[in-house]
This record gives sequence, C-alpha cells and structure tokens, in this order.
Amino acid sequence: MAIVKMEKMHLLALKNEQSKLMQTLQKTGIVEVIDITEDENEEKQGHKEDRIRDEIAKELAELEAKLSDLKFGIDFLKPYSKSPNPLIYGKPDVKKDELSEILSAESKIKKSLQVVFDLDKKIVHLKSEESKILNQIDFLMPWQGLDIPLEQLGYTDKAAFMAGVIPRKSKDKLEEKIEENSLLADIKVIGERRDDLYVLIIYHISGKEEIQNLFKEFSVTIQDFMGLQGAPSEIIEQSKKRLDEIQKEREAIKTQAQGMTQELFNFEVLYDYYMIEKDRKTNTLKLFDTDKSFYLQAWIPKERKTYITEIISKITDMVYVEFTEPEENDDIPVLLSNSKLVEPFEVITELYSLPDPRGIDPNPYMAPFYWIFFGMMLSDAGYGIILSLLTAVALLKFKLEGSGKKFIKMFFLCGISTTIWGAIFGGWFGDLIKIKPLWINPLDNPMAVLIVSFALGVIQIYTGIILEGYKNIRDGHVLDAIMDQGFWLLLLTGILMFVFQPLAGIAKYLAIIGVVGLVLTQGRAQKNVLMKFASGVLSLYNITGYLSDLLSYSRLLALGLTTGVIASVINTMAKTISGSIIGFIIMILVLLGGHVFNIVINALGAYVHSSRLQYIEFFSKFYESGGRAFDPLRIKTTYVKLEDL
Amino acid sequence: MSLTFGQVIALIGAALAVALPGIGSARGVGLVGESASGLITEDPSKFGQSLILQALPGTQGIYGFLAGFLTIQKIGLLSGTLLDITPFQGWLIFASCMPIAIVGLMSAIYQGRVAAAAIGIISKRPEEVAKGITFAAMVETYAVLSLLATILMLFGISI
Repeated sequence: MAIVKMEKMHLLALKNEQSKLMQTLQKTGIVEVIDITEDENEEKQGHKEDRIRDEIAKELAELEAKLSDLKFGIDFLKPYSKSPNPLIYGKPDVKKDELSEILSAESKIKKSLQVVFDLDKKIVHLKSEESKILNQIDFLMPWQGLDIPLEQLGYTDKAAFMAGVIPRKSKDKLEEKIEENSLLADIKVIGERRDDLYVLIIYHISGKEEIQNLFKEFSVTIQDFMGLQGAPSEIIEQSKKRLDEIQKEREAIKTQAQGMTQELFNFEVLYDYYMIEKDRKTNTLKLFDTDKSFYLQAWIPKERKTYITEIISKITDMVYVEFTEPEENDDIPVLLSNSKLVEPFEVITELYSLPDPRGIDPNPYMAPFYWIFFGMMLSDAGYGIILSLLTAVALLKFKLEGSGKKFIKMFFLCGISTTIWGAIFGGWFGDLIKIKPLWINPLDNPMAVLIVSFALGVIQIYTGIILEGYKNIRDGHVLDAIMDQGFWLLLLTGILMFVFQPLAGIAKYLAIIGVVGLVLTQGRAQKNVLMKFASGVLSLYNITGYLSDLLSYSRLLALGLTTGVIASVINTMAKTISGSIIGFIIMILVLLGGHVFNIVINALGAYVHSSRLQYIEFFSKFYESGGRAFDPLRIKTTYVKLEDL
Repeated sequence: MSLTFGQVIALIGAALAVALPGIGSARGVGLVGESASGLITEDPSKFGQSLILQALPGTQGIYGFLAGFLTIQKIGLLSGTLLDITPFQGWLIFASCMPIAIVGLMSAIYQGRVAAAAIGIISKRPEEVAKGITFAAMVETYAVLSLLATILMLFGISI
C-alpha cells in the first residue's frame, strides 16, 4: 500500500518492430516513457537520425491538423445533439469492427466535415448580415415618417431637399433666424431621438449659402444615406422580411445539424483514434534510435515487471529488457495504491499536492481523521443518511470515472460518519425527530464536546509527529528522530498531563526532560556554542504553534453546533406556520427548503474545514509534497471507449 | 409588555451579532461574485468551482445568525416569556455577542478578498482551486474562534 515502488525499464529492440512494440506498450498502459533524447550527446545523432525524427514530426503535424478539424466538427455539432452526458452515462463502447468500418469510410467523413465547415461559414455570414440589417433598421428608425424615397433627396432646379439632424434646443432659434433673414426655407420634423430632432429641410436654392452657414452655426448635420433607395419605412419593411428569412435559414441549419448525430459519433471515434496515435508518436520521439535498433527507457510499477516482460516476449524474441532501481536524482513519478476504503480520500491529498516519491503516502493516516472530522462537523443523522443515499444512487446509476467517482465515494463514506455522529449527538434533522442522543447534545454541554474535539486534535498532531519520526528512522536518522520528534512528544505529553491532577507529578519531569532535551539539541546545526544554546531556547517558541494547531480543532465543535442550531431554527420557523391546511403545506415547503439549504451549506463547510485540518494542522507535521503523477502511455480517449484496438 | 434595561441591552447584543457579520458576509460574497462574473463571461464551465469560493465568506453571516439565535433563546424570547434580566446580566450578554459581531464583520470582508483573488486561480489553473479554498479557510479560522468564544461566554452566563 501507499506509494507504488517504481523501477526503470530499459528496452533494446529492432527498429522495424518499433511501432508494434509501442502499440503493445500503449495497450498495457503501465509504462511511462522517459524522454532520453535530451540526456544524450547531440553529436551522436547522425543525419539519418534527424531524418527519422523529421518524418515523425511531419506525421505528427498531419495528425494535429486532422485532430483540430475533427475537434471543430465535434464542438460545432455537440450543442445540437442530444447525446447522453458521458460524465453520467459513461462513454459509448466502440468495437473493433465498428472502428474499422469508420476508418474505411474516412473520405466520407471528411466530406461531412466539409459540410460542417460550410454550415459554420453560413452561420457566421448570417450573423454578420443580421447585425448589418439591425444596424440599418436602427439607423432608419427616426426617419420612418419621411415619405420621400431617399434617392430623391438633394437638389432640384430651384429647391433643395435635405434630411438633417438638429439639436432639439436649436430648432426654434434656427427658425427664428430664417424668419429674420426672410429666407425661403421650411423645416419639417420627421422624428426624434434623445436630444435630436430628425428633420426634412426644404429651401430655395437662392439662399443656399446663407442657409448652409446657419446649418454650421446651429450644428445641423446633413444626413447621408449612403446610396439607400426607397422610402425609409419601405426599407425597414424589407429589412424585417430579410430578418425573418435569416431566422428561417438558421432553423434550417439547426435541423440539418441535429440530423448529423451519426456524423458526430464518427468524428468522435476518429478523434479519439488519432489522439491515441498522436500519444504514441509523441512518445516515440522520446526514444533514442540508431539505424536498425532503438533504446527505450520507461518507468514501470515494480510489481508489473514480470507481466510486461511476458507481454514483450510474446511480440518478439529480438529484444533485450532490463530493470534497474531508480537513481538518486531521478524524477520518479508517483502512483498511489490504497485499500478500497482509503482510496476515495486520495482526492483530498491530490487537490493539495501529490506526495514526494521518496516520502510517505499520507492517505492511510489522513483518511480516518478526515472521515471522523467530516461527520463531526455535519453531525446530523438525517443529513448523513440523505448524503449517503444520494451518493449511493449516483454511484449505482451513473458511470462515473476518475476523481469525480472518488469524490462521490468519499461523500458516501462521510455520510455514514455523519449519521454516526448525528446519533451520538442526538441530531435527526436538528430536533425534528426527537431521539435521545447516544452521548450528549452539544448544546447542553458544549465543554464536553470541545474536550473531545481537542482530544481528536491531540491524536492527529501526535500521529503527524510520529510519522515524521518514522520517516527519520526509516532514512537511518534515529538520533534526529529522538531529538526532533521524541523530545517534542515528551514535552507535549508532559504539558497535557498537567491537566489531570493525579498525573501532575510525572508530568513535571516529562516536561522538564523535554524542555532540556530541546534546548540542548535544537541548535545543533549552529556552529557557535552561544548560537547553539540560543536556537535551542528559541525553538521552544514552537510551542505556540502546537497550541494554535490544537485550538484550531475547536472548529469541530463550532461547525457541529452550526448545523444543529440552524436545523432547529428551521424546525421552529416551520412549526409556527402550521395550523391550517395552507399552513401545513407551507410548513412542509419551509422544512424541505430549509433543510436542503442547511445540508448544502454545512456539507460544504465540513468539506472545506475538514480538508483544512489535514492540510494545515496535519500535513505540516510530516508531509513532503511535490510528487508528479504517474502518466503512463495508454489508450487515453475523450469521447468513446476504444478498448479492443 | 415593557422591557427592562437589561433585556434591551441583551437584545441589542443579539441584533448586532446577527447584523454585523451579515453585513460582512454580504460584502464578502459580493466581492467574490463580482470577480467570478468576470471569469464566467470567459468560461461558463467554471461556475461550480466559483460558487464554492463565493460561498466561503457567507459563513460568517450564518455564525452571526447562530449567535443571535442562541442569545434570544437564552433570554427566553423564543419561548414567549422574556426572562427577567438585570442590567448587569444584560451587559454580560451584550459582551458575549461582541466577538462574533466584530470579527464576523471584518473576517468576512477579508475572506471575500482572498476568495476573490482565488478566482484568478480558477481561471488560470483550475486544478489548484483547493489551494485557493485553503487560503480563504485560513481567514475563516478567526471567525470560527470568535463564534466559539461567543458561545462559550453565552453558556457561561447564568440567568
């Protein structure tokens, strides 16, 4: 259990069997190919070498282009299709003959891709046309009352017909000025928008210059209709008709896209197929090869060694395989393996960071604490049962995968813990169902529950310190374990025992041994004697750290109380409403809504705070993070399952 | 029904315990909501993660409500008959409401700022959102402690 031991596989084989071997390795899905091209000397790689590399790179580029086309097709068609959500219902299984059928029809699929591209182009075109028309309608709206065709605006022999925009407040003044200068002109208001009036101005050509000066003075803008023809209202009418047509064309495109379900499926299968090929090609670039042979290095879980040798020997005899232990500076990938009960809690660690490959897997130690803490913070039997039931249904009905599945499983387990704690504290939907607590109601005696919280905290902090000590001992630093962890345990135990009167006598000595030990040893890294002593004394300051860690566990009580009290508030509110039939219905609604709200908000709180206790209080004691997840070359698909490739 | 001075003081304490953290939470949740909306315009699929971050500064309001509820329960308002409370007891109850009232108000706002900043984590590195949640939870510690102080003080007062 814990972190899986990795070994390095060295494989030497013939070039002409390379692709076959790579395919087999990909199918097993248990080796992570190491990129060794960077380590090797550049000079060693001859021209031939580069040529092969270029060839693969070219193939990769072609694959890349195909993939991006397919991806476009999938993304385009996906919103139109009603295919079931793969997150819930799992990926559809594609059998070998189905796949070869699709592969043989590739040219046809290419054609349907072209159809998708055309549809997309059409949509883009329709959209730009639509926005153009909408702009035009908006522009012409104030001119709707103008009954002259726009192309007839302008000058006749004697008169000028101008459409213009004039600020509302200037219109009267302009008319006055025209009157004053006794010009032959008339201003007719057509429409208005905000502070502007849209007007038709008719004037005699003889007064052209003066009028135009007046236009400047009163900031009248002559409207240019950019070659539009017909009366504005007619143009608007036609535009609206065109808009309707565009809408219809869109509908047509939609129905066409909806009808392309089979094509979408083909795209998805092809996409996954090429993706697998791309993975393999990319990994092939990591190998080191000569004219006739190639050399591959890969990480493999130790226990799969015999399995992989067997598989390889079935393919060919002309191969040499050797396994070595990882070296000092190797970047070992991390693969965790835990029992079924612990595994779901791996997500909590994964969200923080994977463990260092040479450290310890915290999950077996973290999981029980997480489980207990979550339950204690949610602490309502009714809520626990609901949580477990819902997650159980999700697990049974939906085909979940990966970390999503782990999460749901974790919540299922935590629901059980919540139920147990709820029974202990007597919380069944708050005080809705009155069942006597197995132990006490925290509202009656919060101090007792607080002490339990601290006790759990002490256990977890001790576990953390002991794990760090174990790590030291495992690495051969027994003295470090005694000095850094042993003395602290003595001191902390001594302080804790002061609480219990009969033990105070021994407690004093334990604490004194601990303090003296710490003062004498914690400065051992310093050279100067005085500094040694000073650092030793200063290290005692860490005691405040332990104290604050411990106090942090009081949240176990606080969040537990929150759930219980809010639940009882909901119940009280609901009860005050009941009485009549309508009141009864409202009461049920209040109870339902209120408890759902309470479950959601407090389950979130329990998740967050239980995680926090692991990350900050527990992991800080011993955990070395920074691992890199084991990412083997495997059949990795996005849309469909291609198991028997 | 005429209220005594002690009852009034206790009720003011309860009111502040609900109101101040409520204001803080509203502000904190609002801050996160603003930055989250910016992210959602770019990538609507991040809604779930953003919502978790937004909910975090909301807890102070709940803690305050809880404290206020416990207080009015303590003085017998819920059972219909207000207990007789001396001015001294009233001030004690008022004092016990203060930790969550003050810390709830401030910590919700600060937590909101941390959570709003963590929205940036979701946009750039969604797989690291747990770290952002942890940063925000660090702030909440003090709200939890003050709630605990309020509850313990409240239970310690004998009427």
